[in-house]
Amino acid sequence: MVERLAITGAVRAYGAEAGVLGASLDVAAGEVHALIGLNGAGKTTLMRAALGMVRLDAGMIRIGGAPLERLPTAAWARVGHLIDRPFAYPDIDAAGNLAIAARLRGIPSADTAALAQAVLEDWGLARYGPVKAAKLSKGNRQRLGLAAALLAGPDLAILDEPTDGLDPVGVIALREAVRRLAGAGAGVLVSSHHLDEVARIADRISVMNRGRIIGALDPGGTDLERTFFALVLDDDVQRTTS
Amino acid sequence: MTGMAAVLEVEARKAAAALVLRVGGAALAAGTAVLAAVLAAAVRSGNEQVTAKLGVFAAAAGWDLLVVVATQVVGAGAVLAFGVTLGWSFGREFTDGTVNGLTAIPVSRPAIVAAKLIVHLVWTVAVASALTGLVTAAGLAAGLGAPDAHAAASLMRLFALTVLSGLVATPAAWAATLGRGPLPGVAAAIGLIVAAQVAVVAFPAGGAWLPIAAPALWAMRPEAVTAAQLLLTPAFALAFAALTVASWRRLQLDR
Repeated sequence: MVERLAITGAVRAYGAEAGVLGASLDVAAGEVHALIGLNGAGKTTLMRAALGMVRLDAGMIRIGGAPLERLPTAAWARVGHLIDRPFAYPDIDAAGNLAIAARLRGIPSADTAALAQAVLEDWGLARYGPVKAAKLSKGNRQRLGLAAALLAGPDLAILDEPTDGLDPVGVIALREAVRRLAGAGAGVLVSSHHLDEVARIADRISVMNRGRIIGALDPGGTDLERTFFALVLDDDVQRTTS
Repeated sequence: MTGMAAVLEVEARKAAAALVLRVGGAALAAGTAVLAAVLAAAVRSGNEQVTAKLGVFAAAAGWDLLVVVATQVVGAGAVLAFGVTLGWSFGREFTDGTVNGLTAIPVSRPAIVAAKLIVHLVWTVAVASALTGLVTAAGLAAGLGAPDAHAAASLMRLFALTVLSGLVATPAAWAATLGRGPLPGVAAAIGLIVAAQVAVVAFPAGGAWLPIAAPALWAMRPEAVTAAQLLLTPAFALAFAALTVASWRRLQLDR
């Protein structure tokens, strides 16, 4: 199986209890791997590290088999991501923002406008093409950010809380986009608080707590919420007593 | 620098959409022309306060008076205006939350910094052209007649001073990066203006060796500043450009 992302023994500590404290996970081609955990579990830091936004204190990250520090700059054209806030300049319209995102991923200038228009339609944003990002609702700005992250058809997508602010139609658009990407052979790492949504789109679910991956949930299993809390509680008890 | 052509195109597009740049440029160019015309008229009509403020330069007349007043306005005003626009260009990426989208893309960080600085330089040249044109128009409107060779040389120095002020403002890019927002860039520009004024007053003989003061001194008294002293200004800008590149290379987006 082709490896899209491999994280081994990642450590990025902010004090003794915060950050990423020894986490390993991988994402294979065609796989949607979900990362769930409470606020402050270290999910976003782990994703930032996978994208080179923060440097690890220890551990190793490989993208497409290449160590992160040796990944050629040009190879990032095949990676899409949305971390924290959507990539949308408030004083530029939705179509312009997508054209910018496309250009920065190496798509030739001549093709960016047509691609932006097609992507706007895919995400139900066609009528917002000439609207400045500052005027969009939070949900539509999030759709715009997701569209920008995925427009180049990446081999690896890393999406932090992608359902944030989305309405039910947006959630469905996201689900379809993620499954379509995975179907085309991409690996997708997605974090979420919504267990039901995760169960619908993920092939694998890893649970993160206090900086470590503490277990997995079966996406087809019943009562995911109870299993999730049992794992977290058990981990908290073990760490408190050890 | 990987992705240079793409990011240059993107930065130009962002600049074209930026209200901050349009307002900053218009305020500097039109404001200088209006202020120069009004102050020159005040001197001609015998306003003692304005005459005292301009010191020995108030003795000038015609085009000399208009350009010297414009030069005094630009000396401080342009560094502030360009410090604001440059600080905003770098700092907005943090406050708008777009800096994450500039990471993990097929464009190197030095290319992003270089593109921003090149667009800034092009912008300063455009503003300098507009400013010089408007001051010339103000002189013609005031009935000063066509500028002679001496006045034309003064106007060319005004153009050069405006562009050099854009270079003097380069530390605003570094400050906005370190402070992760536009305001530290603005603070850096104000600091540069204050430092230049204090240094020139404290060390009048050596002021021309200060890259942040040399352009204004040269524009007002070209014989008092050598080419070598003037060349320190682009060297100063390059040094701060290199510091900004180094800071972007090391940038960690963990907050």
